[in-house]
Amino acid sequence: MSDAILVGHVGDIEDEEALVVPRADTGYGDDIAVFFSAGKYRAIDDTCTHEKASLAEGWIEGDEVECPIHSAKFSLCTGAALCLPASVGVRTHLVEVRGDELWLHPGVPALTAEEGS
Amino acid sequence: MTVPQRVVVVGGGLAGFGAVQELRRRGYAGRLTLVDPQGVPYDRPPLSKEYLDGTLPADKLPFAPEAWFGENDVDLVVDAATCLDASGARVELAGGQALDADAVVLATGGRPRALSVPGGDAEGLLYLRTRADADRLRSSLVPGHRLVIVGAGLIGAEVAATASRFGADVTLIDPVEIPGVPAFGQAIARELHAMHAEHGVKTLLGVTTAIGRTASEWVVSLDEGTARGGGEVAADTVLISIGIVPHVELAAAAGLDVEGGVLVDAGQRSSNPAVWVVGDGARRRLPDGTLLRRHEHWEPALHSGQTAAAAILGQELPVHPTPWMWSDRYGVHVEGVGSMVDGHAIVRERDGRPWVVFQVDDDHRLLGAASIDGGMAIRAVRRMIDRGLAVDPAALADPSVDLKKLAK
Repeated sequence: MSDAILVGHVGDIEDEEALVVPRADTGYGDDIAVFFSAGKYRAIDDTCTHEKASLAEGWIEGDEVECPIHSAKFSLCTGAALCLPASVGVRTHLVEVRGDELWLHPGVPALTAEEGS
Repeated sequence: MTVPQRVVVVGGGLAGFGAVQELRRRGYAGRLTLVDPQGVPYDRPPLSKEYLDGTLPADKLPFAPEAWFGENDVDLVVDAATCLDASGARVELAGGQALDADAVVLATGGRPRALSVPGGDAEGLLYLRTRADADRLRSSLVPGHRLVIVGAGLIGAEVAATASRFGADVTLIDPVEIPGVPAFGQAIARELHAMHAEHGVKTLLGVTTAIGRTASEWVVSLDEGTARGGGEVAADTVLISIGIVPHVELAAAAGLDVEGGVLVDAGQRSSNPAVWVVGDGARRRLPDGTLLRRHEHWEPALHSGQTAAAAILGQELPVHPTPWMWSDRYGVHVEGVGSMVDGHAIVRERDGRPWVVFQVDDDHRLLGAASIDGGMAIRAVRRMIDRGLAVDPAALADPSVDLKKLAK
């Protein structure tokens, strides 16, 4: 588990957009995509589990992201693969909003809805 | 309607696996059997690309690992179905076993169309439909190997691109000057076709009239003279990629209505109420008797399986978005959505080349789009079509306009 890192500030990521935190900055095994959608900041592994593609460049809408290449969908909340061609989910990472700062905890799973509420 | 307690799915392609996956996802708790002589269901688009070139290992091809079937209480029967009982309630297998069912899903797809010319059915000609086909074709991926591909559609073009990277001497033969216009529209199809020559792949315009075999090579004859680059072409390997013929034999023998595919209703149900048909072999018949075209792309196959699952369980049918397809070749990713045949074209350029081509009707409503490396544009257009949006043509053509915002 790595320490939390500052990845940006509230407002840096436009609605239904994402930024990529390179693995070189996190020490984590994959680039991490931090999304702002449905009023929430959430992070998952950036690489689609089906083939090599950046999910941050995908179609982001509500609680889902659709891979820009073959349209596999993933839940931004749980990382679950929601449709073929992906059948393996991605890992989630905790994003913490401290004041107006966005702190990413690489490798720390996001809280589930029950835990978070 | 009572929910069946024994469902047998025949065929483990995307449509068949999709039906199985969706039945469980929708809560079906009865017996579920998937029959396929090839075993664990696997995905086929990589067969002309990443699996063919070896970058995607065989263990990454399956939709789900073998353990998934146990975890989801699905019996995977590695055998071929030889007969569907006229009642639609029994499937006989080549191994002698018979499976009784309350509902049968036929997902038997199609087989490669043979070339109906002298020598067109010769032993040793290659086709590409299965993993074994791809394994056979892989031996052609060596420098200087003369690979002649008859048919420059999606599979032919993708294999040409894959083989050319290995230095194979590739020739593509097609009777159409610019293949792919119905799928991608003129402008994009032209861009794609030009990539063959840019990558050293020869394209020949002509109808293949015969295939001969000498002791050492194949000879493919064209109807056009040498002035048009035709005549005869010698090959070490010949791939026939001129489309598929749907497997309708099981269905026809069981008395199901068949006409260029097995006829189905909106829920993928055939003329026998105990039999659903999904994937490439199914053809939709509207209530007024009109027959629609069969779909042969990846996503419609998945959707047809999901629809059948809902229908079998008596649940509301899912609403699927406008049909979408893709192709990967020469390092570019092409997508198309909706119709590239109807309406008129509006072109959005990038670097002076057509990038996204939109088809719109007279009221500026989106009907379709195709793009090279413009996946987000296609996803935006897909939502515009689904929502029946009309969009200012000038905005469509302007590369500075964010299509996602227009789709809202």
